[in-house]
Amino acid sequence: MKSLIILCVTLMLFGVGCGPKSADQRVHVRSGLSGSSLGNNIVTKPIRGVFEWLAGAGIVVDEAVMNRNNSAGLPQLFITGHNTSSKTKRFRYKVEWLDADGLVIGTRASVWQPMSAMGKSGFQIKSVSPRPEAVNFRMDTRKWE
Amino acid sequence: MRSRILQMAALVSVLAGGCGPKTTNIDIVNDDGKSVMALDYRDFDKAASEMIQSMVSSGALKKQGGGRYVVATGRIVNDTMQRIDTDQLMAKIEEELLNSGQAVMTSAVGSGTDKLIHETRELRDSEEFDQNTIAKRNTLIAPDLTISGKIFQRNLAYDKKRQQVEYYFQLKLSDATSGLRYWQKESLIGKRGSNKSVAW
Repeated sequence: MKSLIILCVTLMLFGVGCGPKSADQRVHVRSGLSGSSLGNNIVTKPIRGVFEWLAGAGIVVDEAVMNRNNSAGLPQLFITGHNTSSKTKRFRYKVEWLDADGLVIGTRASVWQPMSAMGKSGFQIKSVSPRPEAVNFRMDTRKWE
Repeated sequence: MRSRILQMAALVSVLAGGCGPKTTNIDIVNDDGKSVMALDYRDFDKAASEMIQSMVSSGALKKQGGGRYVVATGRIVNDTMQRIDTDQLMAKIEEELLNSGQAVMTSAVGSGTDKLIHETRELRDSEEFDQNTIAKRNTLIAPDLTISGKIFQRNLAYDKKRQQVEYYFQLKLSDATSGLRYWQKESLIGKRGSNKSVAW
């Protein structure tokens, strides 16, 4: 029993925070929303709730794709991610658009938007820049207050 | 005597300490304040952001052969129980339409009419003004497209202690010549809270 506890603690210490929270450096998933990949581990599965609580299972961003494939030719962003937690995660996100010099373009479209991802499910976010001069973006997240 | 002084000091400190909550400025960039049952600026920001992104990416404002459409803001009906200046929504949308380079707004007609445009034309017979500096006839540009819409509210009893309030923001973009509608969108904001909260 004692060795099992030591094993669990070791797994916990080495496992926490190892999983990628965002595949794209431009997307910042804040602690409290981000998760690790411990949830489906065969050792941790029976006590998933405890591990999710310990490891902070939650939102993981898999891919961020930016293109201009809309009718107006404006820059748009597609974020694909998933929720590693078994519970629905509600959070807010804000996309800021950057010009060629890396400066933020102030637009009325850049506000905190609500998002909800069901447990163990994927989610998608779409954002469009109303300014054609946007060439890059940055995205931040925060907890749903 | 000493106890009397202590009582007085306590009374003064209570009175002078300020009974009401402290006034603070809102951090409008990262406002983590609690939600309210009525519509606040965050709700207008959210609705405007959704409307802007949908409208500009729809292609409805992309003029064939280049150039920009002239857009007029029509009537935005406030069918909520709150006193809302609908410019809270439309000013943000108009600002982004202008900045996007896809459209120009007109102040000659519609809800955004600038009275001075018409008043200055009434000076045509005035001897006090140099007539060459007054706008000539047939110079105003009529709008190609018009925006109109509605904000309405539904109140529902959720359970014995809570109510649900739904706010619907609806906008539509129509061709002023043909009357055809090129774009429309609805944005919903829902709130649940105490029955004691008043949503107006």
